[in-house]
Amino acid sequence: MYIETRELRKTYKGREVVKGISVRVDRGSVVGLLGPNGAGKSTTINTLCTIHDKTFGELRINGKDVSSQKDKVRNDIGIVFQESTLDGKLTIEENLKLHCDFYNVPKPEVKNRIDFVLELVDIMSWKKAPVDSLSGGMKRRVEIARGLVHFPKVLFLDEPTTGLDPQTRANVWDYIHELQKQKQITIFLTTHYMEEAEICNKVAIIDHGKIVAHDTPYNLKKKYTSTTMKIKTSNQDNLLEYLKERSLKYNQNNEHVTVYAPDVEKVLGIISTFKESIEDIEINKGTLNDVFIAITGKEIRV
Amino acid sequence: MIRPIKAIVKRNLIKLVRDKIRLFSTLFMAGMFLFIFSFVTKSMVSGIAHPMNYLISGIIIMTVFQTALNNSMNILEDIANGFMKEILVAPIKRWQIAIGHVLSSAIVSVVQGLIIVVIGLFMGLSIDLLHGIMMISLMCLVGLTFSSLGLLLASIAKDSTNFQLIITIVSFPLTFLSGAYIPTMAIPKILIPIVYLNPLTYTTSAFRFITLHLEYMSPAELVKSGLAFNINGFIITPLMSAFLVIAMGLTFFTFCVNRFNKADFSRVKIFKHGHR
Repeated sequence: MYIETRELRKTYKGREVVKGISVRVDRGSVVGLLGPNGAGKSTTINTLCTIHDKTFGELRINGKDVSSQKDKVRNDIGIVFQESTLDGKLTIEENLKLHCDFYNVPKPEVKNRIDFVLELVDIMSWKKAPVDSLSGGMKRRVEIARGLVHFPKVLFLDEPTTGLDPQTRANVWDYIHELQKQKQITIFLTTHYMEEAEICNKVAIIDHGKIVAHDTPYNLKKKYTSTTMKIKTSNQDNLLEYLKERSLKYNQNNEHVTVYAPDVEKVLGIISTFKESIEDIEINKGTLNDVFIAITGKEIRV
Repeated sequence: MIRPIKAIVKRNLIKLVRDKIRLFSTLFMAGMFLFIFSFVTKSMVSGIAHPMNYLISGIIIMTVFQTALNNSMNILEDIANGFMKEILVAPIKRWQIAIGHVLSSAIVSVVQGLIIVVIGLFMGLSIDLLHGIMMISLMCLVGLTFSSLGLLLASIAKDSTNFQLIITIVSFPLTFLSGAYIPTMAIPKILIPIVYLNPLTYTTSAFRFITLHLEYMSPAELVKSGLAFNINGFIITPLMSAFLVIAMGLTFFTFCVNRFNKADFSRVKIFKHGHR
């Protein structure tokens, strides 16, 4: 187990923000903490990466206790914060060098490592540019590169793509995946974008400081959502009859019937029974947003 | 252990050199003080030997003081820009960060002081090797002392904009009631207790004593020149002043590192965000 929290609690400015979180993360996996703003995502990640001290509970990263072995933990982790923490007056290279000095990267390796990570996020040609002159997306990339230059075993990303345009956001994700493949590192991230959570190996859904579900995106969707089929058929009466017999949920209007099928078997059953009379069909799988609604009874507040 | 400290010092110096406007304005201010005060207050020091040197030495040490105090507060800017977070989560100790900041602002303040010394040489200041070394040592001491004070104050701060204002309000009267620009003899009697409580008074007198080569003067003569202080019969000599500065330096430095170790920088109000 790479990251392990047990009953983590954190009181921040007199308010309990994190109310007993227990998560276990496997080595080399990508885990997403998904939840609305103010759910306690950032506080959780900040406590994990040694910025805040926990109020209660147990926290281990790579077997090391986060409270009592702070510096050892800090050596093992890389962090990309929600807001920029680069020094704007320095160049990309200078920012990374400074980081290498702080993390005691062996001096002869510094240059190669900087080149390696800059190559990884595809920003090599800007090496000598002052950070202030870069766009938001590029700063993010520099920040990811910096978080990696000391070869951490775990990378924490707090809302890595917030405020980026869709194109850059997709790129940032490409880098994250590239990295996971090349370096086998464990990635722990927070997000309120459903699409991003889909890419994670496991998702923990957090609401009001508590984990309300923790599983693979696939299992979560399977458990909490149904497949929606919009069927337009010349044989609507028979279809309704069929649905009632099998007590499947549905809505109907003049145009079409909307069926909520809990699994793929039911979907195929309907299609094979009515394939002669189906004029049009639209099938939608449940999303993590549906999972979130099913669990908490509300949409993610963005 | 030394590497992160060196890295912080180097980074702060690079930043200063790159910040052309700040670099120019600090030099400009120092130069301006030098010219204005040496001409305006000349008449007040007419009874003293080497009146020009008397004033220049005060201005040198004030420059060191001001620069040290202001520079070590640049850390508030780091907090506002978010860069402080990067430093705080690195596997380095808080005291290393504190020393890095104190050292870099002390270096800057001494360099600035030396620039004034060079200008002073053209205006009639004369220094020999021994006194030069003593001057530089004292300048380093003053630089370290007030960089520590600046960092101490900065780590107590909760709000950086107001804080900078408070510093100006406090440091301005202290500067003028220290004897550096206006000789203590010319300061109204009612303000004299403040002069005696002012740490800058002793800083100035010790430095002036060295710069003016006044080893030959008797305590009474030193008191008359405003370099020693007769507080109810107890005479504080320039040597005692120098020890007072050392004591202050140690105190400020200890408090500063101690306070910095405990400071919760996430509580400082951040008024500007990064790229969002």
